[in-house]
Amino acid sequence: MAEINYQQEGRKILTAFYGAMSALKLYPVENETVQTALTELHGLVESVVKNDGTAEVRVVGDFFFLNETRVRLDLTNFSTFGIFARALQDHGIGTIEVHPGIRRDEWAPFISMLMQAPNPDDSFEAFNKKFAQTPGQHIELRPEKEPDEGDEDEDAITAAKRTYAQSVQVAKDALGDTRLGKAVNVRKVKRSVQGIVDQVISNESSMLTMTTLRDFDEYTFTHCVNVCIFSVIIGQKLQLDKNQLYELGLGALFHDIGKQRVDYDVINKAGNLTDDEWAQLKEHTTDGLLLLFSMHGFADTPYRQMLMAYEHHMKIDLTGYPSNKRPREPTLFSRIVAVADAFDAGTSVRSYQYKPWSPDAVLKEMRDNPKRGQDVLLVKALITATGVYPVGTLVILDTRELGVVAQVNSDLSLLHRPTIRLISDPQGRPLARPVTVDLSRSDPATGQVRKIIKTTDPQRYGIRVSDYLLA
Amino acid sequence: MTDVATGQGERPTDSEWDDEDLPVAEVKKLFTTLGKAFKAYQLYDENNPVRQRFVDSLRGEFSTLWKLTDRLVLKVTEDHFMLGETSVYHTENRNDSLAFLFFKDSIREVTFLPGVEEEEVVTFLGVLQKARNLKPEGDDLLTVLWEVDLQFFTYQFVDLLAEGVSQPEAGPGNSASDLQAVLAAAAEDEERAAEAGEAGAPEEQGPQTVSQDDFNPTMYALDPKEMEILGAELKKEMDRDLMGDVLAALLDRLEEPENRQRQSEILEILKALLPSFLSRGQITAATQAFQELHALEDLEGGFDEQRLAECREIVEEVSTPEVVGELIQALFDGTIKASAAQFGAFLQFLGGGALAPLLRSSETVDHKELQAVLREAVPRIAEANPGAVVKLLEEEDAVLAGAAVRLVMEMKIAGAGPALVVLFAHFDSTVRLAAIEAAVSLKASMAANALQQMLADPAVDIRIAAARGIGELAHGPAAGALAEIVKGKEIRNADVSEKVAFFEAFGTLADDEGVAMLDDLLNRKRFLGKREPSAIRAAAALGLGKAGSQAARAALEKAGDDGDALVRSSVHRAMRGEGTGNG
Repeated sequence: MAEINYQQEGRKILTAFYGAMSALKLYPVENETVQTALTELHGLVESVVKNDGTAEVRVVGDFFFLNETRVRLDLTNFSTFGIFARALQDHGIGTIEVHPGIRRDEWAPFISMLMQAPNPDDSFEAFNKKFAQTPGQHIELRPEKEPDEGDEDEDAITAAKRTYAQSVQVAKDALGDTRLGKAVNVRKVKRSVQGIVDQVISNESSMLTMTTLRDFDEYTFTHCVNVCIFSVIIGQKLQLDKNQLYELGLGALFHDIGKQRVDYDVINKAGNLTDDEWAQLKEHTTDGLLLLFSMHGFADTPYRQMLMAYEHHMKIDLTGYPSNKRPREPTLFSRIVAVADAFDAGTSVRSYQYKPWSPDAVLKEMRDNPKRGQDVLLVKALITATGVYPVGTLVILDTRELGVVAQVNSDLSLLHRPTIRLISDPQGRPLARPVTVDLSRSDPATGQVRKIIKTTDPQRYGIRVSDYLLA
Repeated sequence: MTDVATGQGERPTDSEWDDEDLPVAEVKKLFTTLGKAFKAYQLYDENNPVRQRFVDSLRGEFSTLWKLTDRLVLKVTEDHFMLGETSVYHTENRNDSLAFLFFKDSIREVTFLPGVEEEEVVTFLGVLQKARNLKPEGDDLLTVLWEVDLQFFTYQFVDLLAEGVSQPEAGPGNSASDLQAVLAAAAEDEERAAEAGEAGAPEEQGPQTVSQDDFNPTMYALDPKEMEILGAELKKEMDRDLMGDVLAALLDRLEEPENRQRQSEILEILKALLPSFLSRGQITAATQAFQELHALEDLEGGFDEQRLAECREIVEEVSTPEVVGELIQALFDGTIKASAAQFGAFLQFLGGGALAPLLRSSETVDHKELQAVLREAVPRIAEANPGAVVKLLEEEDAVLAGAAVRLVMEMKIAGAGPALVVLFAHFDSTVRLAAIEAAVSLKASMAANALQQMLADPAVDIRIAAARGIGELAHGPAAGALAEIVKGKEIRNADVSEKVAFFEAFGTLADDEGVAMLDDLLNRKRFLGKREPSAIRAAAALGLGKAGSQAARAALEKAGDDGDALVRSSVHRAMRGEGTGNG
């Protein structure tokens, strides 16, 4: 029996599914392009069936499995796979199992049905019932599991928790050592950033969840890690490769390193800063650049990271700080960090901001107010990752229920309809166990689709949203 | 507590191998082949058949192994790769040990999977080679493995990040009153909005009313054209001159005199950066830095005394013979690319320390364009650093000392006299000669005494130059010594030039007695009417011409119709004051 390379075959099969969908979208079934695509898909699946006795393609959250082997996505195909995943999820399909005897002509009806827009009231059962009427007898469909019930998602959250906690500790050590004038263990920092990049690539949503862990006392450190996560996520939307994401993440984690030269009293001052204190704080960008020169452990001089530390408070029109005497155009990576920094800072309780903005308001402000000086395209890239209502946003629904945004809708046209954790009934009574609700789907009990009517910042009311997201 | 973390993919479930069934012999053979393939990889380039043969052998060993097992899991100890309890790889020398290479970077288990033999085996060998060359202060093997992202090779390592870190856990949630407060605020907000007819500023609001405009995907989704723009931005980002941007930032901040301490820090950084620029061939960046420093030096209040000294120290450091010598060598070898204009622009900022290698190379380098640049640069640097030029006269190196002497002469550095006199004793006659000529051209009176010593130099050119020099400097005290020489026997055996030089020098210094002596040598008939040899008489005539007194002229007139054509000609030249052109 031939050994199957499931990674390779899995990627080929998913690409073939996408190819067949694209062809059927453009041409009638008898068209040669369609037939070629179907033949290719059929050949690939049949070969797995012949080898293993069955071919099972399963989608769980962001992951695909072929016969229980998780197919690793990369930046060249994640978008393709995403479209296929959404098509399956739209119809509530979690698993496609193909049995021996599969014929080439069974594929066209299935894929055509898959491409039809789902009726909000349609359930998996309705789709499956309709599909059972097609001539195919060798394609078996099974419903998807609730995202929060998947073992893989639990694993992802566990891995994200570990990565996040370790990264915060690494940031704490690195910043502390810098303040004390001790050598920073750059290898640990690199390892931490590599962990964040891996985690974002494999499960972006789980890392977004971690950014909701706000801790006032640990703000300096969690902020560095959050900026790193948001930057890597924006980078991923820009299709940076893994090593570019690492470069970006490394600079993002170090972006505020210069604050270690600013007096503690200024950093932690509760009230407004005096002019002198403000002037001192503004020096942190230059100090960041200078500190990175003295840091050892990089294979090469970290010029890119230096610029990210130096330029992240420069606005797109070069106002902001520090001022420039020579011509300058902030680097793309610096602008990404600026967006990530502004978003995390705007949504956090910190020394000089006790009333943070709600995440959606921050995004809107960054996108729409030119005085904020952000690169609007990068803000948009962040929104495509975080959704209109980022993970952790406390929302009030038209039912007067309260919910916490738990997952962004992967369909760009439905970014305003995320998956939430419902935490209270319309009277504000906490639910015994938070309920996961996909706001792009109707409630099976009432047939209604819930809508977000208001958002608010949970920190203002002392609500820890992470309690609901990490559970 | 130290955790073990996994690199790449999921950790494979441990095979339930029975130790007796382990393919020990095959794995040992595989490692032997791996060792050979790695050596071939290090020694030969990609297309070399030897390297390809060893890589193919390694592929073959893996293929053989996959017939026996579906994965190869090995424990890594300090000196061994262990298959189960059996060592399948061991090398005494840790410098060569593959096991130690992994162990020292905290990898404790490696797994090869079927498929590694196809494309990744070559990448894997590349990783090993890179790992061998890693610097302790740079990346480690884990970073290299992470970057290459192998799909068929996984590893587990001691995860130092996990030490003492507790994971965040969910809390109990919130009370009804907390949640009701949110709803109450929302209701109040609605009432207020209804009363005011409009919502307030966001930061003053309670819950934020959602605007339907935000649901329009065009407001937040990136369209294909925007993605294209960002793609172009990314390309630009990867190609941009980051170092230039950093340099500009440093210089911007260096111009801020209100922070002297930071100026020092930046100067210290520039001091470290400049050699790095040069080693990478970033001549333009180095020139820019120098230009800016130069401008700041001249800017009133730009630097205080301390910063000024630190700034000059940078120039001096980059101008050391070692740095400049390496730079020239690199340009000559082509390891650094820079146009003549770029290099010339850089050289103009160098200090006197750079003169030695520049001057030496300007004399010796076998590269016309480079030589032209150097020859143009040297006088400029020398002009600004005359002290450094004089210092070069102390060099033992004949090429350098000789070139420095010429430079001293061209620049007319008056203070170079003592150093030139020292060079009169240089082992190389061309240097001695150049030094004499320079000293005389500079009218270095202190050189005159030393010139007298040089009249006995073994080299004829030196003796001639010394004699002419004495004449030119009109060094009276040497007259006695010259008289002895012109009367002596040795001069009779010397060639014409030397005779003329000595006689002219003597004539220049001659008093009446000396003129009489020359008259005697020119005109006196000896026993049986015999005269001195023609060459001596001709030289004496030229000497008398240099004396220029009435007695000398009278002596010359006596020989005006001499029957010896050589003598007659010399007499006429002397009377016309033509001599040999010296004095």
